[in-house]
Amino acid sequence: MRTGQPRLGSQNRIAAYFAAVVSDESVRECFAGPAAFPILPNKRVYFARNRGDGEDKEEVEAKVQALGVTATSKYMGEQWLVHVPGTHTRSATHHPQKNCVSNFVTFTTRHQATTTFIMVGPTASLAPLYRADGSSSYTCPATGYELLGAVNAPVELPARRDALKPEEATVEVFVKPGTTTAGVGERYVEGILRSVLATVILGREKGLPRRGVVITLAIVGGEDVERGDSYLTLLPALLHTSLLALLSATVPLSMTFSATLLGVTKSGIIIPDPSAADAKAMASLHALAFSSKGHLLLNESQGRFEFDTWEAVRQKALAICQNTAVSADGDVSMAEGAEGAPLHDFVRETVEDQVHRDYPWKIDAV
Amino acid sequence: MASATGAASHPVPPSLSLPPSQFARLQPHAYLLAHLSPPAASNQPSIRANGRASSQFRVTSANAGSLTHTNGSAVVRMGDTTSVCGVRAEILRTEDIASWSVSRTSNEASNKRRRLAELNEKPNEEDEDTAADDEEDRAHIEDLNLLVPNLSLSTGCAPGFTPGAPPSALAQSLSHQLLSLLHSTRLVRADDLRIWYQPPSLGPEELERHNDDEQMDVDPNPSGGVEDHKNREIKGFWVLYIDVMIISLAGNPFDAAWASVLAALRDTKLPRSWWDVDSEMILCSDNVSEASKLSLRGLPVASSFCVFEADAAAGWRAVVIPDAEEQKARSQKKGSQQRWILADPDGYEENLGQERICLVVDKEKGGKGKTVVLKMEKHGGWTVDTDDLRQLVDISARRWDEMKRILDQC
Amino acid sequence: MSKEAPLSVAERDFILDALHQNVRLDGRGLDQFRPLSVSFGNEYGHVKLRLGKTSLVVRISAEVTKPRDDRPFDGLFNIALELSAMGSPAWENGRSNDLEAYVSHILDRVIRHSNALDTESLCIIQGVSCWNIRADVHVLDFDGNLTDAACIGVMAGLQHFRRPDAVVKDGQVVVYGVEERVPVALNITQKPLSTTFHSFDEGKTVILDATRKEEQASEGELVIGINNAGDVCFLSKFAGDPIDALFVVNKSNVAQEKVKEINAMVDKVLQADLARRAKKGMAEEAQAENDREVSPNDPFV
Repeated sequence: MRTGQPRLGSQNRIAAYFAAVVSDESVRECFAGPAAFPILPNKRVYFARNRGDGEDKEEVEAKVQALGVTATSKYMGEQWLVHVPGTHTRSATHHPQKNCVSNFVTFTTRHQATTTFIMVGPTASLAPLYRADGSSSYTCPATGYELLGAVNAPVELPARRDALKPEEATVEVFVKPGTTTAGVGERYVEGILRSVLATVILGREKGLPRRGVVITLAIVGGEDVERGDSYLTLLPALLHTSLLALLSATVPLSMTFSATLLGVTKSGIIIPDPSAADAKAMASLHALAFSSKGHLLLNESQGRFEFDTWEAVRQKALAICQNTAVSADGDVSMAEGAEGAPLHDFVRETVEDQVHRDYPWKIDAV
Repeated sequence: MASATGAASHPVPPSLSLPPSQFARLQPHAYLLAHLSPPAASNQPSIRANGRASSQFRVTSANAGSLTHTNGSAVVRMGDTTSVCGVRAEILRTEDIASWSVSRTSNEASNKRRRLAELNEKPNEEDEDTAADDEEDRAHIEDLNLLVPNLSLSTGCAPGFTPGAPPSALAQSLSHQLLSLLHSTRLVRADDLRIWYQPPSLGPEELERHNDDEQMDVDPNPSGGVEDHKNREIKGFWVLYIDVMIISLAGNPFDAAWASVLAALRDTKLPRSWWDVDSEMILCSDNVSEASKLSLRGLPVASSFCVFEADAAAGWRAVVIPDAEEQKARSQKKGSQQRWILADPDGYEENLGQERICLVVDKEKGGKGKTVVLKMEKHGGWTVDTDDLRQLVDISARRWDEMKRILDQC
Repeated sequence: MSKEAPLSVAERDFILDALHQNVRLDGRGLDQFRPLSVSFGNEYGHVKLRLGKTSLVVRISAEVTKPRDDRPFDGLFNIALELSAMGSPAWENGRSNDLEAYVSHILDRVIRHSNALDTESLCIIQGVSCWNIRADVHVLDFDGNLTDAACIGVMAGLQHFRRPDAVVKDGQVVVYGVEERVPVALNITQKPLSTTFHSFDEGKTVILDATRKEEQASEGELVIGINNAGDVCFLSKFAGDPIDALFVVNKSNVAQEKVKEINAMVDKVLQADLARRAKKGMAEEAQAENDREVSPNDPFV
C-alpha cells in the first residue's frame, strides 16, 4: 500500500486536461483557474461529447486541431469520442467515490449549446467474477475492446507431456475471441503472452511448482481480429488484463509491467494507440512492454522500418509506460513528469482503488 | 564448476569417469556454460557446445523444385532442422466467393468497394509499389485468403511428436507466423494471382487481334490501351496453398520454415489461365513455357536468436532483479560475461533459455541498399535491449547476404 | 481437475434436510428464480446476463456466406458455447466436457430446432448468399442452471440484434452500414425458453433454478422448453431418479408462467434500450447527411 503520497486531485487533473486541449475562448473561461496548465505534447486525452447540441464533428476536431495536434473523433455509445493521438490520461470512471462528480464537465460554447466532455482512457476493475481465483475487466473506449481475464492458480494439472517441468509452475494462457472460434492466431498470441507472463510469475515460490497458473482471457466486446491479422492491436490490452487478473489472484510476481502500442505512419510520425482500422494504414506497428523496473519485456514489431525508427518508438513507448525514461533531454522529461499519468500508474492505481474498496476498515484504523 | 569445466575440456578425465555426452545430459546448463566461458588459464576460445561461435548460423543448404506434383517446392536444411515446402495453386472462381458479389457502403468498407472500382479502371499500373497497389493487395490477398500456409511438425521429427495427435500449439503458432509475415511483407503480389477476362471490343481492329493471340491473357497486351481495361473483369484467383512440413526438428523451426517458403515461392510457376466465354469456365494452358513465375517483393530473411544466461536461476527470485539501468551498469563492471546471445539455436540450446529474438530483415535494391527490418520480435526475458538488438540487426543483415547466396544458387 | 469439487457430506445433508422442510439455502421459494438482470452493451446483440451468481455474456454476429447446398433458401444460424476456465476452475480450456455438450444440445433444441429464429428470412439470393447468424455464449461465472441462463441470454440477444440492411441490385448484394440505413431486426417467430427443475426426496420436492450446490445434491432433472403460448418445444427427463408423469404436466404450467414472466422482463429491458438508441438516432440524422457526402459512390444519394 502506498500511503501518504500526495496525489493530484482528480478534479484538478481533469480540469487541467480540458484546459490543455480545448482552446475555444468561451470554453477556456470555464476553466479560468486551472487553464494555467501548459499544453503538453505527450498527453493522451479522450473527449466524449454529447450528441445533438448543434456542434458537429468538424467543429470539435477543429478546436483540437487549432492546438497543432491532429485529432480523430468517432461515434461511440452516446458520445463523440475525440482522441488526440499522442496524449494519454488515466480514466477517472472507476473510482466512484473520488470521481463521479468531476467526471462530467459541462460548459457552454459560443453556440450556447451545452457540451459535456468526459475522459475515457482505459478503465479496469479487479475481481468482477465470483468463481475464478482472480479476475479483472478491462475496457478501452478508444478501440472499443472489452476484455475479461480470469486466473486460476495454483491448480492441479493432469499429467501432460508439456506440463512436466518439475521445478516450476506451468503457465497456461487461453484467449477466447468474442464472435468466432479460436484459431491459429489465438494460439500464437497465447504463446507470446505465456512467455511474457512466465518471466514475471515467480513459478518456483512455495506451492507453485508442478501446479498450473491458468489464465483465461475473453474478448467480450469490440471487433475480432481477422484471420492472419496480427494481434498487435489487442496485445497491450491482453497484457494489462492478465496482469491485473494475476494481481487479483495474488500470484507471486517478480515485477509488474505496462504495455503500449505505437504505430508509425508512412511519413514517419509515431502515433500511440492506433485503432484496429488505423493500424492497417500504418507503415509499421510496434507493441512494447516494459517491466516496472524499466526492462524491455516484450517487443513485437511488424511492417517496414529501420532500426533508428524503432529506437525512437522505444523511447516514446517507455515514456508512455513509465514517464521516467527520457532524462537525457530536459524538455521532454519535464513534460512527461508534469503529466503524471503513465500507464504504469494506471495499473498501480487500479489496484490501489481495489484495496481502498476491500480494506476501508483497515485503512481507517491506520 | 571446476570439475564441470574439467569434464568438458578434457574428453577422458582420469578420476571422473563421466563422458562429455552424459555430462551434457545430466547438467546441460553447466555443460554449455563451461564451453562458453572456459577458464582463463586454458586459453580456449568461448565456443558453443556444438562448436559454433555465438553469432554463427548452422550450415544451410537449399534445394528448389524437389517435388514434382507441386507448382513450386523447396527443401531447406539448417543443420539438423529440415523443412520441406510445397506450393499448390488452385483456382478460386469469383462466383464461388460468397462476399464477392457483396459491396458495402459503410465507412471503412466503402473504401474497399471504391478500391475495387479504381482497380477496374486502371488495373495495370506501371509503378507497382505505390500505396494504392498495396491497398489492392491487401484487399484481395488478405480478405479473400489467397495465401494459405499450413505447417505441420511431422511425426517423429523430434521425440515429443507422436502420431495421431492434433496440431500442436507450436505448429499452429508457426502457421500463423508464416501467414502474418506473408501478409505484412506483401511478398506475393495480388496481380500475379488474378485471372482476368477481357471482353472483346466491337472494333474490327480489336477483333483481328482477338483472333491473333487469343487475347484474355493473364498479363494482357499493353497495346490494348486504357479504354480496354475498363471492361476487364476478374473471373478468378489463384489460391496458393503453402504446405510446410518440418521433417526433422532440432531447434529454430521458424527460420527453416520461412526459408523454405521463400525458396518455394521463388520456384513457383503458375500456368497461363484465361476465362473461356464459350464453356464459361477458367481454362489453363498445359504448356510449361507459357507458365509464369511469381514476382516477389524483396527477399525477407528470418534469423532467430536465443539468450543463454550464466546464472541458471536468474530471474525467478523476487529480490534479486535489479533496475534496468543498474543491471546494465553492473554487467559492464563485472569482467565476466553474464549472458550470450546465440544465433540459430539448436534444440539443446533452446531448452536452456527462455528469451527469444526473431528478426526478419531485407536489403533494398537487391542487397546494395540499406537494411530494412520487417519484423522484430523479442519476448520471454528482460535482458536484451536496444544495444543488443542493434547488433543483432547487423548480424541478421550479414545472414541476409549469406541466405541470398544460398537461395540464388538453389 | 475436470470435475467440480464434490459436496461434503455435511453440506449435502444440510441442503437435503432444509429442502425436506421446503426451505432453500438462499431463502427462495421452490418455484422461484434467482434475481435476473439483463443488460445490453454498445453493440447490437451484446447481452450481459446475471442470474444469481451465474453470469454470462452473449454476442450475436452476422456475416454474409453461401447457403448450404441442400438448403438454398435458408440462412445459417449457430449457437457456439465453449466453456473456459473462467466460468469454473473445474473446466479445462480447450477441452469440451459433458456439461458443454449437454447445454449446447438443449440450446440447439430449444432455440434452433424450434425455429425461434426464422432462418428463411436470412436468405438474400437463393443458393448464392445468405446471412450467417452466430451466437457466442461466454460463461463468466458458473453457479448452476447454465441452461436456462444461456437460453434467456441467446433469446435476448437475438431480439436485440440488428443486422445491416442488404439489398440486391443487379445481382450485386449491397450491404448498408449501420449509419446509413436503419439496421434490420431478426425475424423471431416465438420466444421459447428452457426451465430446469431438480427433484429431491424421491420426486417429492421439486425446485426451479437450482444453484450449483443444489444441482450437485439433486436426484433427478427435468428440462421443459416452452414458449409464452404454452407450446412445449422441448422436454427432457435425461437422467436421475424417475418422476411422476403427472408431475411433468403440472410443472409445464409452472414453466409457462415463468417463461411469460422472464420474457416480459427481458422485453421491458429491451424496449428501454431501444428507446434510448432511438433517442440517440434522432440526433444522428444531421450527421448522417455528412456521411453521405463523403461517399459519392453511394447509388442512393
